[in-house]
Amino acid sequence: MPEKKPTTVKPTGHWSRVTGHGSQLNLAVQIGTLRLKNPVTVASGTFGHAEKYYDLEEVKKLGALVPKTVTLHSREGNPPPRILETPSGMLNAIGIENPGVDGFIEKKLPALRRIGIPLFISILGHTDEEFETIVKKFTKEGGADAFELNLSCPNLKQKILVAQDPQATRRVVAKVKAIARVPVIAKLAPNVTDIGEIAQAAVDAGADAISLINTFSAMAIDVRTRRSVLGNCTGGLSGPAIRPMAVHMIWEVAQKIKIPIIGMGGIMTAQDALEFLIAGATMVAVGTANFINPRAPLEVLEGIVEYMRKNKMNDIKDLIGSLKI
Amino acid sequence: MHKIQNKFPIAANERLCPRFYRLAVDAKSILKSIRPGQFLHIRVTDGLEPFFRRPFSVYRAKKFVEILYEPIGLGTRLLAEKKPGEFLDILGPLGNHFTAPPKGTKQVWMVAGGIGLAPFLFLSDELKHKGYELILFYGGRSKGHVFPMKEFKNNGVKTWIATDDGSIGVKGWVSELFRTLDPNPTTTMVYTCGPHAMLASVQSFVKARGLRCEASCEEVMACALGACLGCSIPTVNGYKTVCYDGPVFDIAEVVFS
Ligand SMILES: Cc1cc2nc3c(=O)[nH]c(=O)nc-3n(C[C@H](O)[C@H](O)[C@H](O)COP(=O)(O)OP(=O)(O)OC[C@H]3O[C@@H](n4cnc5c(N)ncnc54)[C@H](O)[C@@H]3O)c2cc1C
Ligand SMILES: Cc1cc2nc3c(=O)[nH]c(=O)nc-3n(C[C@H](O)[C@H](O)[C@H](O)COP(=O)(O)O)c2cc1C
Ligand code: FES
Repeated sequence: MPEKKPTTVKPTGHWSRVTGHGSQLNLAVQIGTLRLKNPVTVASGTFGHAEKYYDLEEVKKLGALVPKTVTLHSREGNPPPRILETPSGMLNAIGIENPGVDGFIEKKLPALRRIGIPLFISILGHTDEEFETIVKKFTKEGGADAFELNLSCPNLKQKILVAQDPQATRRVVAKVKAIARVPVIAKLAPNVTDIGEIAQAAVDAGADAISLINTFSAMAIDVRTRRSVLGNCTGGLSGPAIRPMAVHMIWEVAQKIKIPIIGMGGIMTAQDALEFLIAGATMVAVGTANFINPRAPLEVLEGIVEYMRKNKMNDIKDLIGSLKI
Repeated sequence: MHKIQNKFPIAANERLCPRFYRLAVDAKSILKSIRPGQFLHIRVTDGLEPFFRRPFSVYRAKKFVEILYEPIGLGTRLLAEKKPGEFLDILGPLGNHFTAPPKGTKQVWMVAGGIGLAPFLFLSDELKHKGYELILFYGGRSKGHVFPMKEFKNNGVKTWIATDDGSIGVKGWVSELFRTLDPNPTTTMVYTCGPHAMLASVQSFVKARGLRCEASCEEVMACALGACLGCSIPTVNGYKTVCYDGPVFDIAEVVFS
């Protein structure tokens, strides 16, 4: 029997203008001053080694890429086990293993830049000054088309996350905004009582967009040993298990704030991504799904296009926030 | 988006002995480049349960790409139900591979525990007719984990077997088979694969005798592409991913806890 050919995307150049049914589809979206050719990207920490494993012509079709969070100094990460599958999802406690900002700029950034699509550089400082230093280094070296501030990693043994405190959120975002020459995105945590309040704090401080959501704090216990399964004891839950809660948070925040939202949390298919867009997200990020189906981000993009055609929509803006109540 | 993600038809899926199955896929694109020690990451269901793909070493790569597996949980049980003609979503080849025995090697040891046997048929396919004496030390739980191993013997491999319960071969761990031997470190190369407890005992054996040894390690995997950093194990040079930096490591480098 012959090998079944993978379903490949037709080699069209610009996904921002896809022709069909005699009309042009406009998929372009705007984050601050940055124009993206379409609304599909990947979630931080879930995409890597593109140069070795991916067909770069296909990766280029995405609207943007978000590499794993970078800290000022290198971090070796948490002891194993770091991951565990759960019903319709997974726990992770990686602990932001990364080569530090200098190592990232030297070893990882050049290959990412060569792909040729906008990079949202995800950064995390343990203090306000660290955030500022990282931003300054990227500003000097170039290479960041936007900064995504990771205010919400649950795996660092901090008592309280920046994104759990409206004042801290306002302060960090304002400090970065004051020195950044590219759009600033605040990535928020779902582990809060009132997500609207935190999002508003980011808006007040001048954020250009909000990324929602990071993982839910979570844990699993091995009842044989009565130990936590994860080496870090606790971790974060991602994947389809969290999707309905993510959609709800995006909807709640979208009603309150005017800046764009990058929606994520359990997106596996285009159908899932459409929920986020309809709820009010301007962009969607595919995370955990990359581990199950590395083709997921492209399938999401293709599916959005197909949906717009079927529903005779010409502009992605007709879809964003189009929930009927 | 992926160079190495494909759907391949199953050519065979059969039981070799009470505990082990062999599955073959018609995957010419993998055949071309796969090396012994590399693995495949297989999606065993279109649904969400189990959620992750499952990694499997390549057992043989001749006409088909084959894996050897033991149904121990949901993923491997679902695999055992697959029929020839069905398609499997596979990422591969992945990871690094065993390196060739260094110059001067006369004797090659393959030390395998349980399903850790899988990569060694492929390795012996590559090493046969090269003048090495090939020896397999295999430890299984009981005789249900042992099959005739004709294919190994056809490659000229001498096989030594131990079982935990002594139902076949020597009673005890695989290390019982070579505990008292004292091979020449300049002419012997050791390859090993199995549970980490077994690898740890091989590590102390080869260290005491100054033997060169490569180990294929295991850890739970999500992406298997080096992206999630979920499969890291401690080494003397810090954490390394089993899927991308490994699965094959110089055994002296790995820290078994
Ligand atoms: C690089 C690599 C190569 C591998 N090659 C092979 C191979 O060639 N053939 C093969 O059969 N398996 C191989 N494995 C292991 C294989 O991936 C697991 O057996 C499989 O993931 C089990 O999935 P499951 O859904 O059937 O079991 P699960 O439901 O995930 O687990 C069932 C039970 O088995 C335990 N368990 C799970 N995995 C292992 C393990 N690796 N060792 C011991 N106990 C375990 C679990 O803790 C649980 O109690 C390999 C693993 C790696 C990392
Ligand atoms: C293994 C793993 C690593 C992650 N690493 C990061 C990270 O470094 N920085 C970050 O902001 N978010 C990180 N995340 C969170 C994701 O970016 C995303 O917000 C979250 O997983 C929800 O989306 P998903 O369900 O589609 O994965 C990580 C998630 C996973 C599963
Ligand atoms: S499984 Fe994701 S890095 Fe190895």
